[in-house]
Amino acid sequence: MRFACPFLEGEDMTRTFRNSRTALLFILPALLLILMFVFLPIVLNLYNSLFRWNSFEVGRAFVGLEYYGRLFKDPIFFTALKNNSLYAVISLLFQVGGGLVIAAILEDKLIRRFQPFFRTVFFIPSVVSIAVVGLLWQLLYNPEVGLVNGAMKAIGQSEWARSWLGDSEVAIYAVVAVSQWQYTGYMAMLFILAMQKIPYEYYEASMIDGASKIKTFLFITLPQIKEMILVGTVITVIGAFKVFDEVYIMTNGGPGRSTEVLGTMLYRAAFRNDEMGYASTIGTVIFVITLTLSLVQLKLGKSGQEV
Amino acid sequence: MKTKLVLTFMLVFALLLAGCSSSSSTKEDESGKVVLKFLHKWPQPEYAPYFEEVVKDFEKQNPNIKIKMEAIADEPIKDKLRVILGGNEVPDIMFSWSGEFARKFVRANAALDLTPYLNEDTAWKNSFIPASLQPFTSDGKNYGIPLRFNGKFFVYNKKIFEKYNLQEPATWDEFLQTLDTLKKGGETPLILGNQDPWAAIHYLTGLNQKEVSQDVRMKDYNPGSGEFTDPGYVKAMELLADLNKKGYFMKNVNSSSHDMAKQLFFAGKGAIMYVELEEFADMDKNMKGNWGFFPMPSIADGKGNQNFITGAPDGFIVSSKTKHPKEAIQFLKFLTSKENSLKLVKEIGWPSPIDGATNPDTALKEVAEGVEAMKKAEGMAEWLDTDVHAKVADVYLSNIQLLLDGSKTPEQIIKEVQKVAKQVQSEVE
Repeated sequence: MRFACPFLEGEDMTRTFRNSRTALLFILPALLLILMFVFLPIVLNLYNSLFRWNSFEVGRAFVGLEYYGRLFKDPIFFTALKNNSLYAVISLLFQVGGGLVIAAILEDKLIRRFQPFFRTVFFIPSVVSIAVVGLLWQLLYNPEVGLVNGAMKAIGQSEWARSWLGDSEVAIYAVVAVSQWQYTGYMAMLFILAMQKIPYEYYEASMIDGASKIKTFLFITLPQIKEMILVGTVITVIGAFKVFDEVYIMTNGGPGRSTEVLGTMLYRAAFRNDEMGYASTIGTVIFVITLTLSLVQLKLGKSGQEV
Repeated sequence: MKTKLVLTFMLVFALLLAGCSSSSSTKEDESGKVVLKFLHKWPQPEYAPYFEEVVKDFEKQNPNIKIKMEAIADEPIKDKLRVILGGNEVPDIMFSWSGEFARKFVRANAALDLTPYLNEDTAWKNSFIPASLQPFTSDGKNYGIPLRFNGKFFVYNKKIFEKYNLQEPATWDEFLQTLDTLKKGGETPLILGNQDPWAAIHYLTGLNQKEVSQDVRMKDYNPGSGEFTDPGYVKAMELLADLNKKGYFMKNVNSSSHDMAKQLFFAGKGAIMYVELEEFADMDKNMKGNWGFFPMPSIADGKGNQNFITGAPDGFIVSSKTKHPKEAIQFLKFLTSKENSLKLVKEIGWPSPIDGATNPDTALKEVAEGVEAMKKAEGMAEWLDTDVHAKVADVYLSNIQLLLDGSKTPEQIIKEVQKVAKQVQSEVE
């Protein structure tokens, strides 16, 4: 289109112009909504983080960048960052890595007959509401009546049994594990969909050339679904830095502050400690982190060239 | 052409704005009735019907007033109240704990001064036990009307106590001996579910009060002058940590909920548990005749008044934005009338702050005795997590689990408390 433009003359020129203007008119409502409900709040949030205020008081006091200074000296901020990073790394390993493996196995000729069954089984956890999942796992992790400790004892490893959510050393891993249980199947599903779009001829050709299953996976499947892997990675990593509900329901940041993530830290500042300004500061930092991460990932994946 | 585009832009924008603003206009009832919004914290099926009945009775007697009732449970209401108060649809009458929790709304001018209404109707004012109105005051003015009068007591399993020939301990040393005997006998001496850390904070509420002299403690609990440098605060935490170090608490305190712990106590899996007066009815239902209670034992060298009892009233505040203060007061009077208070005691077993409402005829024997003990007490130690500034409370709440699992010492925790208290001091003028 762009090349064609200079050669257009008179009426043609105006028609193209009019067409693009009509297109613009169509995206206008969506654009306005996004401006009002996404970009405006981001700017306002930045502005709000410069004041000391709470939700029920009328006045506010200007504090400048004080909250940013405090945040970077707050040890809990670093606990939260560490926990969010743990969340991201483990999620990448299990949801993207594990999801890929599960998808590849289910897409294999031998198992494909049973695929709908397994697909459903793996997918079910992700349709359950997070509140239900949180309470369910709280019970499973219960040291007295919980299934997890029961299972440890049943396989003769009773020294592994512990108070999962009540031990500050392991609580964060226990919480992260629940997310893996919930979303690995979802990721696998996305990968299966992408794999089904790969032309079968590629596999036939490689089979004739005598490539092993592992090699076909590495050299045909993976490059073909590169885009989906990138999307999956972005979703998982950003999700890991935005995580809130799982932690809030299962441990609420405890024991002590050992499972605090940025989300729960923000919530605590806003609604428990009445420091909306500090909460806005944390919000801004979360935004910067997720924005940077997704930009880096998109750059690395060179997205937008395919699809 | 360009103007057309701009016009469309403006039209869409106007539509969006209109869509946003039309919902927030306040709705007055069609028939000209006064609508009062009433927010409380008891959605549970055992308590909610009581409020529904009272509201229905009130509407029958006052046909020109309509009550719109809403209930939000205990934990979430702490957050929701803050959000609701910042919005446009503030309830006229809402639940609040006494002490600092209510005072921060007073500081923000969100709560209505009720002093004139109480002074206008002295019969109403005098119907309350004085100790129940006091925690709702700030600078000598009343801001809240109590609905319940809650206290904290140790309840014990009588069968287990008889087995080891134990008496109700009156001093902390006797208490420790009792626990030791139980432990040696192979029992679990203390049941505690500290997944939500207020449970252990209630221990510390009493221990702080008994270890620190009243003046110092009141000065420290005031957000404008809190320092927390008295050694009593460390001692209080040490006493609590010791109970755990000596193995008197049950296993897994930090991952068991209060309700789950209560089930263990009902099943006779432990000898003593620290519960609120409002839970007495529950105790009686599950352990009929097999339980007794005693207040927190006195500490011989403690600097605080040993005749205090841990507990506080909770009740309602009126929004300063209300358009119908008179009707709101009218409803509160109805809610705390002798008749409805008797009903409260009888139907849901809560101790009422109305003098004479909680008597052996209406209430469970133990509840009446508990209220009697509270009336005799020289003062109340209000809940630590609602009586100090929210930020200080947060330090206590999030550290108490670590105190119990031994990963933090009392000295480390009090240092954090002092730091935050200083910060708060500079923020509250």
